Amino acid sequence: MTTESRNSLDPVLVGLVSGRLASILDEQQTALIHTAFSPVVRESYDLACAVFDSGGQMIGQSSGGTPGHINAMATGMEHIVAAYDQDALVDGDVLITNDPWMTAGQINDITVATPVFRQGRLVAWFASCCHSPDIGGRILSAEASEVFEEGLRIPIMKFREAGQENSILAEIIRANVRTPEATIGDIYAQVSSNLVGARSLLNLMDETNLDSIDEVAGDIMERSEAALRKRIAQLEDGTYTAQVDCDGFREESLTLKVSVTVQGDELQVDYSGSSDQSKYGINVVLNYTRAYTSFAIKAALAPEVPHNAGSFRPVNTTAPEGSVLNCLEPAPVASRHLVGHFLPSLLFDALRPAVQTGLPAYSADALWMTVWRGLDASNDLEKSHEFTLTTFGAGGSGGRPGKDGLTTTGFPTGVRAAPTEVIESLSPLVQLERQLITDSGGAGEYRGGLGQRIRVVRRHDQPWSVNANVDRLRAGAPGANGGSDGRAGRLALKGEGRQIEPKSLCRLQPDDEVILEFPGGGGLGHPFDRDADRVLDDVVQGYVTREAAEQVYGVCVTSASAEAASGPVGGSRMEIDWDKTTKLRAQR
Amino acid sequence: MLSNGGVTSIDIAKVYPIRMLESGPAGGALGAVAFGEANGESDLLAFDMGGTTAKACLIQGGEPLVTHSFEVNRLYRLKQGSGLPVRAPVIDMIEIGAGGGSIAKVDALGMISVGPESAGSDPGPACYGLGGEYPTVTDADLVLGYLGAGSFLGGRMSLDMEAARTAIERYVAKPLGVTVEQAAWGIHASVNENMANAARIHAIERGVDIKQHGMFASGGNGPLHGPGVAHSLGLRFVLVPPAAGVLSTLGFLAAVPSIDVTRAHYAALGPRLKDSVGPLLKEMEAEGEQLLRDSGVDAADVEHRHTVDMRFEGQGQEVEVSVPPMGESWQSDLEAAFRSEYERRYGTVVFDGIGMEVLTFRTKSSGPQPSRNLRLAVGGEGPAIEPQSRGVYFADERSFVEVPVVSRYSLSAGAHGVGPALIEETESTTAVPDGAEYSVLEDGSIRIDFGKADS
Repeated sequence: MTTESRNSLDPVLVGLVSGRLASILDEQQTALIHTAFSPVVRESYDLACAVFDSGGQMIGQSSGGTPGHINAMATGMEHIVAAYDQDALVDGDVLITNDPWMTAGQINDITVATPVFRQGRLVAWFASCCHSPDIGGRILSAEASEVFEEGLRIPIMKFREAGQENSILAEIIRANVRTPEATIGDIYAQVSSNLVGARSLLNLMDETNLDSIDEVAGDIMERSEAALRKRIAQLEDGTYTAQVDCDGFREESLTLKVSVTVQGDELQVDYSGSSDQSKYGINVVLNYTRAYTSFAIKAALAPEVPHNAGSFRPVNTTAPEGSVLNCLEPAPVASRHLVGHFLPSLLFDALRPAVQTGLPAYSADALWMTVWRGLDASNDLEKSHEFTLTTFGAGGSGGRPGKDGLTTTGFPTGVRAAPTEVIESLSPLVQLERQLITDSGGAGEYRGGLGQRIRVVRRHDQPWSVNANVDRLRAGAPGANGGSDGRAGRLALKGEGRQIEPKSLCRLQPDDEVILEFPGGGGLGHPFDRDADRVLDDVVQGYVTREAAEQVYGVCVTSASAEAASGPVGGSRMEIDWDKTTKLRAQR
Repeated sequence: MLSNGGVTSIDIAKVYPIRMLESGPAGGALGAVAFGEANGESDLLAFDMGGTTAKACLIQGGEPLVTHSFEVNRLYRLKQGSGLPVRAPVIDMIEIGAGGGSIAKVDALGMISVGPESAGSDPGPACYGLGGEYPTVTDADLVLGYLGAGSFLGGRMSLDMEAARTAIERYVAKPLGVTVEQAAWGIHASVNENMANAARIHAIERGVDIKQHGMFASGGNGPLHGPGVAHSLGLRFVLVPPAAGVLSTLGFLAAVPSIDVTRAHYAALGPRLKDSVGPLLKEMEAEGEQLLRDSGVDAADVEHRHTVDMRFEGQGQEVEVSVPPMGESWQSDLEAAFRSEYERRYGTVVFDGIGMEVLTFRTKSSGPQPSRNLRLAVGGEGPAIEPQSRGVYFADERSFVEVPVVSRYSLSAGAHGVGPALIEETESTTAVPDGAEYSVLEDGSIRIDFGKADS
């Protein structure tokens, strides 16, 4: 069958192989999560897994994972494949790198790629990219002025050679990081999950008598490309623009600007007009800009099309060299996600007039990442050790066409928050409070998702520190089509007017209490168009106050009359005052 | 009936009602255990395919695999994460949105996708003639000849071949530019592959080599699609019980009285661990025994099995390991058991110098085995179907081949033959693949063995 031309490939066979590859990738991802050591990977899923053809073209990706990792890996794989001649690779080799410009734009993100051999021939690659709990340098923040300060940079090299570990490299990594067991343990988990994927791929090739997967892979990519082109061609030709501000660092806020030009079945996405490269670590490499752009375009136009090398082809992404979205070496890049995560909502905003079915309002967007460090001290000094714990959290997502935004759910990244129980068992941190913030979701026909308040203290009488890599403190997520903005975030210490500098190392006293208030998502559509019963429901659930229901939504919610309140359910009961509501809503 | 596949007394059920969740499907799995044992087979994939979903469960050494956390009420395409998490022992069963009523369509990539949307039984598949517009798996099976238009449900319901062909033509064959038969074959093969993929992943996640297993096929569509799924998975054989529809009730009769006792005991694996674990296990055995005695089981008949969840220090996911008998080398035996289980699942990445820890101990206390020789009176009942034949589509030849159709009611123990063949009964049709051998066993089950060349 390898001699037949591509056009004669049986769609049933392609479908079967494609479905099987998807399940192999989930297998790889499950193995990675099960064997990982850091809570970043095993609880928060800050990772991605993918399979590539023999030339390094991405065929498919696992169903979890973040767009920044997966898509950056898809376009970064060409560097990894090019690093060694094919005859310089043998079965059992494993390659590794964390070069920001070649892969995911941040020195903590480590890519491990394994070539797969069958009968002595390289037939495919499995790779994964994971956020390492620590990579040395400064603790993750925006404070560095060059990438060299941000940690250990690993060029593309062999972590294993014919199955033997490169012990020199492993020792260098261990000696340079604060969490040697977890950093190396996660790399082992990556090595091992790539093997799990490879093992199943080889089984598939045996069963289907395929000597090469390149042809079927090429067909899958072409189908994805064609499907996305078909969707783009349905859009009206023209140029669509949008811009948004984000906090930036210290006094220097940033503007991100995009123009999307639709021409036939292709898209040109250009970020000219965005702020210049910053002298702080909030810069984004082009590979990462491209990753989130490609994700957003596909999510907006053709979510059902699988992501692979083919679905990148119709979209050309550019940003001026030396701008914050295409920074040049040796720019500092550690907090790049606090800028990059704004791109999908920005692109949705630009494409809103072009997409008939509508697109969500702005989300909280930037994933909040806090890195906590200090002495984990029992009274026994012998047993004391430093802890370094990275935790994530998300605000609300924007109101969606026909649906509310999701509460405390990350968009665009799918990274999850670790449970309080896990955080408290791994470190001396204590979360005093973790609850939704009433009225934080932007009002709208489709309300923005709510943000959350988390209050953190520590056990034991020891100093500690936090790096709060957070954004949207200056302004909330914009609403769309008449919807209101979501509530802005807040970062503070308990006590009158005590502030913490975001994206910086902040030293804390033993009895300090850190307050994190995550931003809400923007509302979509005018709040007066929201079904009054749903507003009542929001009040009952505590998502919206009665005051806001009346003033913002034009819905008057009152305590139920005495006889209605004497039902079997105790507590106060609420109902809509329809007369007042009709009057309020008539004033629009 | 408990979800872990044991039975218990009313009193215990009142204290732990959560443990009865999902007990219906558990009955089906136990039916598989019983029929398997009656025929000397203890490693099975129990596969049940009905009208809207298919379920599968692994049986190892005569015991269904049990999990300790699962989700109920999944809202989004039966996907993980869309349901309510429940932490209680339950037979580890996967559910796939694939049944006879699953709707086939051509997706954005120009490939066939089947389910999880289902036409159910009303309006049902297009061939039911009840207003179903979209092509389903059952429509494809009819077009391919696996189902007979006149012999469905023992002839009580006639199927509309034209309606099936029209639906497939319109929604699948035409958009793909293939013949109706090729499209029908694509639907049939895709749904089989979906189910095989799900079962394969499940087996891998549980560290089981599925190729050592046979399939136990039940449900209205299990005997029809099971052999194809089994073949794709490389299984050794397929066992089709009589009266598959009442299987879960039969399974209850075969259940062992049992209870699981769980204790969290978070500690490092070290020389002192044995001192605390020994008394802990004794205490758990005593508790399990007491609960079973309360259910009327004689203490002398109670047996205990211990397992423990282990991981390397710093990991978040555990591996369940059998606790070795207490003795001099207990600690190293436990370490060896963990390492070998870990390596079996995740390959050869050896962790040296990283400690190991134990988290949760479990004791399964069980009473005596009931007799598991389930047998139904077979033969003579049901309408006699005249021996005949019909054309069945063969993908490799791209044409119809005349295949004998046999009434299951005309087959008695010892009957055998070679596929391709279709064996029809009221509730289902068993498809014997080309070259496979079938035989009717003592208990009325049909066993299909794949030829050596095929496996």
